[in-house]
Amino acid sequence: MTVVPAAAEPGLPDYVARQPSGFYRSINPGTKLAVAALEVVAAFVVPGWVGPLLVLAVVLATAAAARRLRGLGTIALATTPIVGSILLINLFLLPGASDPIARLGPLAPTWSGLWFGLQTVARLMAFSLAIGLVYLTTAVDDLLSDLARRGLGRRAIFVVGAAVQMVPATIERAGEIVEAQRSRGMDTEGRIWRRARGVLPLAGPVVFGALTEVEERTMALEARAFSAPGRQTLLRVPADRAAHRAIRWAAVFALVAIVVLRATGRLG
Amino acid sequence: MTAGSAAGSTASVPSIEFEAVSFAYPDGTRALSDVALRIGSGESIAIVGQNGSGKSTLVRHLNGLLRPTSGRVLLDGRDVRPMHVARLAGLVGLAFQNPDRQLFAGRVSTEVAFGPRNLGVRGQELEERVRAALEEVGLAAEAATNPYDLGYSRRKLLALASVVAMRTPILVLDEPTTGQDARGVARVRAVVAAATEEGRTVIAISHDMAFVAECFRRVVVMRVGRVILDGRPEAVFGEAAWPELRATYLEPPLAAVAGARLGLGATPTASSFVAALSGRAWARRGSHT
Repeated sequence: MTVVPAAAEPGLPDYVARQPSGFYRSINPGTKLAVAALEVVAAFVVPGWVGPLLVLAVVLATAAAARRLRGLGTIALATTPIVGSILLINLFLLPGASDPIARLGPLAPTWSGLWFGLQTVARLMAFSLAIGLVYLTTAVDDLLSDLARRGLGRRAIFVVGAAVQMVPATIERAGEIVEAQRSRGMDTEGRIWRRARGVLPLAGPVVFGALTEVEERTMALEARAFSAPGRQTLLRVPADRAAHRAIRWAAVFALVAIVVLRATGRLG
Repeated sequence: MTAGSAAGSTASVPSIEFEAVSFAYPDGTRALSDVALRIGSGESIAIVGQNGSGKSTLVRHLNGLLRPTSGRVLLDGRDVRPMHVARLAGLVGLAFQNPDRQLFAGRVSTEVAFGPRNLGVRGQELEERVRAALEEVGLAAEAATNPYDLGYSRRKLLALASVVAMRTPILVLDEPTTGQDARGVARVRAVVAAATEEGRTVIAISHDMAFVAECFRRVVVMRVGRVILDGRPEAVFGEAAWPELRATYLEPPLAAVAGARLGLGATPTASSFVAALSGRAWARRGSHT
């Protein structure tokens, strides 16, 4: 594996050359991806509560040390609808569950359903927060540069970059669309059926705008020799120190080990 | 004054007052600082200033999209803070800069009808408003076209028509001439002239100084969230104010610069420049004879 110097190319201005600093932020993006992959696999493959709870503890401790707990809280909040539905479905409809907590007419929530639902939620949260932590501690440009350095094709990098950057861009666009439609009298503060009528005026420009933006971005890239033959150079690459590589390889080995142990039945 | 009654009628055009309005975005960016501004009923006023000077933030307070961090926005003396945006939309029509952030309908006519329908306009009255608005911006022949089959400048005119059709007493236009060719600019000017003629209050944000000088009777210049100049185009674009204008990265209209260079006085518009030049020529001819 090539050793990439942490120092930037000479002659680059500071705002380009500056490497991310601070706990976890300064770690190589590829290493953070490998750690996140290990956490996701551990949360789902290790049976019972141990896997998801251990992953959650590690992710929360890392986020606290990196001062990203608030951002992680926002991501956790965003999962509320899916978490709620998983809990409700398992609580009332888990197949084979026969230990009711109470009788609510035709419905009977069960203890097994509750525990299974909570465990599933813990796995889902571990998954979301592990990925979220990478997002919160990694600049998109650094991630893409690192992926490019590792040989990922430029088209694949474009897809990853466009997908990641589309999230904040879409949120900003959606905010402006809401303002424009409210300015034309669309009711977003009244009764629910009136608000429901606003779905098309809001969703239409968001979807069309996103498609247009991707098309324009593609053309702008092509106009700047995106598809030119030959190897592309990188403006700068994120640091990849010996410690980062050690963590990365350890994560990869641990991931493979967990899968093998699970497959051979040694994890229970 | 009610939104429902005001829409479609110019009988009651409310005055606007910004009382020491300050506003900071959630990230802490202070966009407005103690803005005090009174806009009388039926005035035509242009707000100019460099990017980030607070122009768009200011006008978004008029229909309640933004609420002041401190201070008050009054329409006819009534604080707009407790009023819903949907209700204020009947009083203040705001045409956004980017048409693609609002167009959604499959037909041009449906798009134009969206605003008036939200205000409760129905039937023949609705049809008449849609037809008139499309004629005003020159899109009458495109009523059945899909908005996204129009070019950008015509989509922008469509967005303008969709607000014009609401017939609000106050019309606010955010960068209406950006991306328009000469014919499009002429359409926008006609819309502003018609609304002013009808006694509506017209407020425009623009970087097009010629458009500002030609179409508006009052110009407000903003810089870092404050009003730094406020007056008639002759005064704001007069030579004495140029240092202030240049501090906000604005250039006075060409007619004003040419008039000043030739010693003709304040000539912010092409017509005032030609008139001053002709006047001087006649005066010289008279003195020779």
